Amino acid sequence: MGTQALAEGSGISAGWFGRRGAEAWLLLGPCLFYLATFAIFPLVYSLRLSFTDLTAAVGTGRWVGLKNYSDLLADPQFWNATKNSLIMVASAVTIQVVLGVALAMFFDLQLRGSSIVRGILALPMLITPIVVGVMWRALLNPDWGLINWAIARVGFEPPNWLGSVEMAMKTLVLVDVWQWTPFVVIIVYARLQALPHDVFEAAQIDGAGRISTFRHITLPLLMPAILFAGIFRAVDEFRSFDLIYGLTYGGPARTTTTLSFFSFQNGFQFHNYGYAAAVAYVMLLILVAGTTILLRYVQLRPGHTQ
Amino acid sequence: MNDIDKNARPGRTELSRRHLIKRAAGIGLLGTGFDRLMNVRWIDPVAAAAYDPKKYAGTKISILMVGGEGEDRAIADLVPELEAETGIKLEIQAPALGALIEKTFQIVKSDHSPFELISYLGFLTTQLVGAGGFEQLNTYVDSPDETPPDWDFKDFIPAAVKNVGIYDLKTHTKSGSAIYGVPGLESTSCIYFYRKDLLDAAGLKPAQTWEEFNSNAQKLHKAGVAGCSFIGANDPSLGLVDWFTRFITIGGTLMTGDPNGKDFRPHVDSPEGIAALQMLIDTLPFAPQNVTQYGFAENVDGFSTGKIAQMIFWATIAGPIFDKEKSLVADKTGTAVVPAAPGQKHRSILGGWGVGIPKNADPAKKAAAWRALTWLTSKKTNAYEVSKYQVSASRKSTFEDPDLVKRFPYLPASAKAITDAEVMTTAYIPEVFELNAALCVEFNKALIGGQDAKAACAAVQTQWEAILRKGGHLI
Repeated sequence: MGTQALAEGSGISAGWFGRRGAEAWLLLGPCLFYLATFAIFPLVYSLRLSFTDLTAAVGTGRWVGLKNYSDLLADPQFWNATKNSLIMVASAVTIQVVLGVALAMFFDLQLRGSSIVRGILALPMLITPIVVGVMWRALLNPDWGLINWAIARVGFEPPNWLGSVEMAMKTLVLVDVWQWTPFVVIIVYARLQALPHDVFEAAQIDGAGRISTFRHITLPLLMPAILFAGIFRAVDEFRSFDLIYGLTYGGPARTTTTLSFFSFQNGFQFHNYGYAAAVAYVMLLILVAGTTILLRYVQLRPGHTQ
Repeated sequence: MNDIDKNARPGRTELSRRHLIKRAAGIGLLGTGFDRLMNVRWIDPVAAAAYDPKKYAGTKISILMVGGEGEDRAIADLVPELEAETGIKLEIQAPALGALIEKTFQIVKSDHSPFELISYLGFLTTQLVGAGGFEQLNTYVDSPDETPPDWDFKDFIPAAVKNVGIYDLKTHTKSGSAIYGVPGLESTSCIYFYRKDLLDAAGLKPAQTWEEFNSNAQKLHKAGVAGCSFIGANDPSLGLVDWFTRFITIGGTLMTGDPNGKDFRPHVDSPEGIAALQMLIDTLPFAPQNVTQYGFAENVDGFSTGKIAQMIFWATIAGPIFDKEKSLVADKTGTAVVPAAPGQKHRSILGGWGVGIPKNADPAKKAAAWRALTWLTSKKTNAYEVSKYQVSASRKSTFEDPDLVKRFPYLPASAKAITDAEVMTTAYIPEVFELNAALCVEFNKALIGGQDAKAACAAVQTQWEAILRKGGHLI
């Protein structure tokens, strides 16, 4: 029996403006208010901002149409930041997924003490990224950092982790992998625990080896979890800001300046609010496009969906 | 001529405050305003009687100022004393620098300011005061009813007054006699820090020229002690302190043309610009191994733990360097004005803060805000700031205080540095931070070997011209 039929039977109007409608508004109201105030309004406001020349000092907030966007396309620093963002997402997420799956498989062996190690492994995830950045900057300090000291003690020349153009991005990815691989481990491990045993038993009876079982059974069954973790990490990685702020501050020579850091610099250091909002919206467009393509790819492959 | 004080000392012009403004206005029209304004002596024989310290008792005043740089702690310490003496209740809001700048710009553009006093960076005087955001203070300064008799405006360092205090809204220059801000709660420049013991042991003298600085660095450099250091990281002070100081002291001119016109042209790629950067590159072998990652904290730590023999730095760090509890070299450190090329003036960048009353503050509270402002920028407060937190002073009397000089031997060098310091001309336009960020990125890249000095200066020049064109300062 539909709502309309119920309403007709009881003589109560089920429309949005009837008595039930009022109840619905009352129940939905706080949520709608929250969404409108804290999600929709900032989005619309910042979109409008991206079409203005607003700066802290002299900007009038004048409508400039697509000027900020056309300036962006002609700005070499924007393209540098885009390149850095894509490098960071691709490298960090790939390593996290590969390492995360490997560790989840390892923990699935249920060796003695593995639950304790799993718990310890998850700790980095619980630390605020800005703190992770500052902590690793201290650990990698070239003068008194613990890691360089340890490397020097065993007779090697410590690398210039944060001060060299060649190393800075690698270091950033390394620290990010340290912090977020546990996230992939947890997702994949949870999925591993839920896999049906009968399939593996059948494979064993059919004489499938470990590698073959992993390749043809485990991996396809894990794929939804892996893709979920990968997409989630990619989105999060793409907008990563605080780790960069704490660890490299976008340097040296802009080699770790990502789009989010570039937006921050324009907005909060140079006070070019209109331009910064345009960067943020380009980021949003890239994210929406990337996520849509990935999700579609998943749906197009039936074996990968659950 | 009854406005001239009969007790005036020979060689000094002394007149009553009431007539000062008349004279200052005249002087301003004659185009020599500032120097004359600072040379007159303010005598107010009836001021003490006219001044009632408790006139605004019970008024609540809010100040917006920078947090985490010492001044906020000093003022917070003094709030009870301020209330006891004036009856004014002071509320302090002290965000970090970035948030403060953003908030200040928002406030001066709004209809009503929630703060009766705002502290602003000297770099932003043109953008904040020049935009008409602050109240002209001459009427208050001139009134014996409103200004404490011992406040003494001419005691402020003239360069600091010029940096944050006076402004001509017609010509948009830091000139004339209209006062919009009071120097404080900190005024600063850069000085030369060196290790007396190491120089003595090596038979060397503190460097007067950059050649001597580099030569000393080479001779003092040994295991455990770097011959010199500088801010080599991608940090704002790489441009503001180390490059700019060398640049102007070898004869460089950063900008030419009118900031308000369309011909504000940079000269970063001039021979002096390239030479200043090359000087830094040349000192790399005598600097700490990781100097390209050294910012503010690393240099202060390095010097105070005895690992650096000489460096040019903001005078504000002298406090911790000379503090025996925080520094291993407190007794071994000497200070002087920065080196310069032969025939050039020993000068560096002028930094520091001003405090003013926003134009859109509650009109009923403005006089009380002035009262609080005079208290917060008084001789007593300034001396306390230096004594307790080693904030860089704004007043001549503080720099010359014998007790303070005894405790903090860097004060005379610091005073001389501020007196001769130069405002970085990019501070006249809102793009100052963007310009400096571009400069620091490229210079840091040169220091880590990514490009040579000429390429770095050319890259900065190109980026600056693009930024200036975008901002409408250059065609």
